Amino acid sequence: MTTKRLLILIPTLVILFLFQSYLWVPTYEEQTKGNPDRLYEYITPSLGDATSLNPIISSNATSSQIESLVFEGLIDRDDELRFRGRVARSWEIFEEAYFYMNPEASLPEGGAADAQRVVHILSTARERPEGLTPEVRATLERIKEIVRMPPEARKAIRRLKSSDGSETVQEIRVDIQAPPRIKLVLSEVDQDLFKNLSNLLGEDYFRAFDPLPFVTAEPPVDREILTEWAAELLPSVEHNPAIIFHLRPDVRFHDGHILSADDVRFTYQAIMDPANLSPRVSDYEPVKTVDVIDPLTLRIVYQRLYSPALGTWGMGILPEHLLNRTALRKEAEALGRDPEKFTMRQSRFDRRPVGSGPFIFEDWESDQFISLKRFEGYWEGPPHYHRYVMRIIPDLLTQEMEFYSGTLDNYTVQPHQVERLERDPRFQCFSGTSFGYTYIGYNLRRPPFDDVRVRRALGMALNVGQIIEFVLYNQGERITGPFVIQTDYYDRHIPPLPYDPQGALRLLGEAGWQRNEKGWLEKDGKKLEFTLITNSGNDIRKAVLAIAQDAWKQIGIDVRTDVLEWSVFIQERVNKHDFDALVLGWVMGIEPDLYQIWHSSQTHPHQLNFVGFKNPEADDLIVKIRQEYDHEKQVAYCHQLHELIAQEQPYTFLYVGKWTAVLDKRILIKDLDQDGVMQYRKITPTKTGDYTFHFNKWIKVSDMPQLSTEE
Amino acid sequence: MVSFIGRSMVQKTVTLFFVSIVSFLIIHLAPGEPSQVDPLNPKFTPEMVERFRKEFHLDKPLYVQYIYFYRDLFTGKIVSWKDNQSVLIKIWERFLNSLPLFIVGTILTWTLSFPVGIRSAIFRGGLYDRSATFLSYLLISIPGFFFAYILIILVVTTLHVPVIGMETFGLGASSWGNMLMDRIWHLLIPSVLGATGGIAVLSRYVRSQMLEVEGQDYVRTARAKGLPPDQVHYKHALRNALLPFVTMFGLILPGLIGGSVIIESIFSWPGMGRMAYEAILARDYPIILTVNFISAVLVLAGTFISDILYLVVDPRIRL
Repeated sequence: MTTKRLLILIPTLVILFLFQSYLWVPTYEEQTKGNPDRLYEYITPSLGDATSLNPIISSNATSSQIESLVFEGLIDRDDELRFRGRVARSWEIFEEAYFYMNPEASLPEGGAADAQRVVHILSTARERPEGLTPEVRATLERIKEIVRMPPEARKAIRRLKSSDGSETVQEIRVDIQAPPRIKLVLSEVDQDLFKNLSNLLGEDYFRAFDPLPFVTAEPPVDREILTEWAAELLPSVEHNPAIIFHLRPDVRFHDGHILSADDVRFTYQAIMDPANLSPRVSDYEPVKTVDVIDPLTLRIVYQRLYSPALGTWGMGILPEHLLNRTALRKEAEALGRDPEKFTMRQSRFDRRPVGSGPFIFEDWESDQFISLKRFEGYWEGPPHYHRYVMRIIPDLLTQEMEFYSGTLDNYTVQPHQVERLERDPRFQCFSGTSFGYTYIGYNLRRPPFDDVRVRRALGMALNVGQIIEFVLYNQGERITGPFVIQTDYYDRHIPPLPYDPQGALRLLGEAGWQRNEKGWLEKDGKKLEFTLITNSGNDIRKAVLAIAQDAWKQIGIDVRTDVLEWSVFIQERVNKHDFDALVLGWVMGIEPDLYQIWHSSQTHPHQLNFVGFKNPEADDLIVKIRQEYDHEKQVAYCHQLHELIAQEQPYTFLYVGKWTAVLDKRILIKDLDQDGVMQYRKITPTKTGDYTFHFNKWIKVSDMPQLSTEE
Repeated sequence: MVSFIGRSMVQKTVTLFFVSIVSFLIIHLAPGEPSQVDPLNPKFTPEMVERFRKEFHLDKPLYVQYIYFYRDLFTGKIVSWKDNQSVLIKIWERFLNSLPLFIVGTILTWTLSFPVGIRSAIFRGGLYDRSATFLSYLLISIPGFFFAYILIILVVTTLHVPVIGMETFGLGASSWGNMLMDRIWHLLIPSVLGATGGIAVLSRYVRSQMLEVEGQDYVRTARAKGLPPDQVHYKHALRNALLPFVTMFGLILPGLIGGSVIIESIFSWPGMGRMAYEAILARDYPIILTVNFISAVLVLAGTFISDILYLVVDPRIRL
């Protein structure tokens, strides 16, 4: 019967045809043997695809990983987390500070303040600092130059907004007749400059400056509004920290074009250009001017003290000649698009980037792979690997299988596999601590969380050690505060809360919570009850939720839990402050700037201090940390803040996760030793656990060589 | 006939219009924002969130957004928010990638299911029927990714050949034949996996349809005439049992674009399903809505085709 035969024959033939292809496919063994180039290729997996390869536009991890190889910033951090020059050879940081003459103020020695006298006071104090406190003397020593600036007339345009602040109602011209000013050039940034100078010029000298008489508005506006504008336009004092970068002369883009200071300025301008919608704008918002002094020298002046500033210049530098207005216009015309609406976001550069980093972009197949080849003209010498390939494999188990079979060179191990793979002789294994922590946050606006004793008691009732042991398979480390644990900003001497349910009950007792006959804690007839929430999709957080609920129930707190979809969780609960307590995590950068998460000005809806932590002392420290350029002092402030937050317990800090990565054992570092002899050595991780730090020197060998330093 | 086609076209256009509204509303009512707008990133100031919303027209009223979207879609100018690539080109590329999986899977499903189901019906209650039933329910109830993992581990550890992706990675320069065969090898496991699920379901339908028909008088007559059993089953019975499958065949058309999310993700297959799934996670509205719209068109086209096929297959239906 033909129908039956066909129905069986067709699929059989199809399957046979599919199967026979097996005979043609090379096994893994044959692949490496038949393809010696494989040794010069590094293949790494990624769960997700990149979005854009333009460093000013993208903001996800996969894109950044590729960008860090294709592009290069002025600086980066070395193995000890100190800054080190890349495109920049060296840099200097100094400060220019300004203050206005205050005609109202009377100087300590009597008489009104005019520029001449103020300069005189400062210069004599500099020459004869006897009798002054050490802080004031240190400040005076930093002053390199005192310059008198003449009065100045300026104009500014301000916009009056409608009552809901959405529309501009009227434009107002403001005339400014600025009084004379004094400019101080300081050899180092000094945030206490004016505080110390007020010892010489009078306590109230800077505070009492009233800018209102120097401005007039046309058409006139309310006095209140004008006062506000005057304060903005004529700040009594101004810190203008500045960085001068000296660039290396031998850095080239992949197309051979020399990288110059203009490219750096262009990159800055591209970020600030609203049309490009760069997510990095906030990093560069404090920049006042970027001046190209000569092709290899660049001066960046900031509007205010902002110590994370230096770190932002790790940003990859874009080639101006490929992306400036003329280039974009040409591209738009070639593509037949409207040149007016054509921005960097539309440019092909997004998918075919050209940078100055150690690897040249080669190919990108969406959701399959991104491949790079080495840049022979890299200023530090080309990497040993000829190609770098990132394969996009959205599934961890598949990644693992591919790693075992040799088509991936590394694999990030999941916590439950660590114990098994660490001992596997086929691999080398690295582990480190992540830049991020998990915590339980309390809504401090709501009772009972407004009482520090309650927060402390909740933390003490929780056995964090057990969470780390059983939920994280020991792949985690207990933390006590908000700084990155590998940095020295984190104070390791602060002890974590002890696990002590009885002590927790005592503390709650002090706060007025007593157990009733049913065993629940009660105060004024009200049961201690609240809801603990977290987002769905994260099993570890869900486990923490259950463990916390159980631990707190045991001491008589009625805890309910709720797991919400991420966007509901953020938009409806976190942003609207509609929660009692939540389990969540932060991913941290190395910079110790905590302004957005902990400062009291950031407690409004949609801001990140959603727990509502308000502490004047902490606010003061946060601002000081942000403004301090001296590392030692910054560390000291951070330790103070860390201790304060640990005392206040607005969060119960839980743990930072540990990652573990396995790598083919045949991958080694190849470089020259002191005598200039080529040698192989094992890959060693840096202080932060970054094993890829020396990536450019890595190479895969077919047979294990004799290692010069066997550990 | 012509009037039927005309009427059906009008009806389908109206339906499509409502589908476009409803799907647009559902996407916008669902909580969440495009992944470019990240409220929990400390570097994202409210002004920037506003700017992004403006760029994506999210600040406009819904009906304006609706008009913008379909204007861009029909003029072919629609771009993905994720990477500014043209959505239609992206979908076309992914469609080509998914197509081989779909074709092989469909061929296997729509051929093998019949002999398997028919044999079950003929020997109803026998050992073969019972084991086939058991096996199909096993395949239906155990999720596909489980078998996918088992198969991957088995193949990789015993045969030592790559199975992930559309081709062996880093094969380098090989002959044309090798490359082709390599691609076909990579097609094998995902398409067979996709087909097994389909066969399990479809063979059940075939079985129950056949059981219904086998009891009919004309089948008994055919048997009484002394026709060979195969001819009775495959000609007289099967033809009459086929009617419901015409409807189902029309409905496989949307599968073209839906792809298979799980299989494609596990095998890193850069297909349609995976793209749509990732777009949903990133709230990439242009891609989600375009895929949605195209699949709505395909569903309607599918029902239309099956209506026409009915006319051809079933002489009792006259319009």
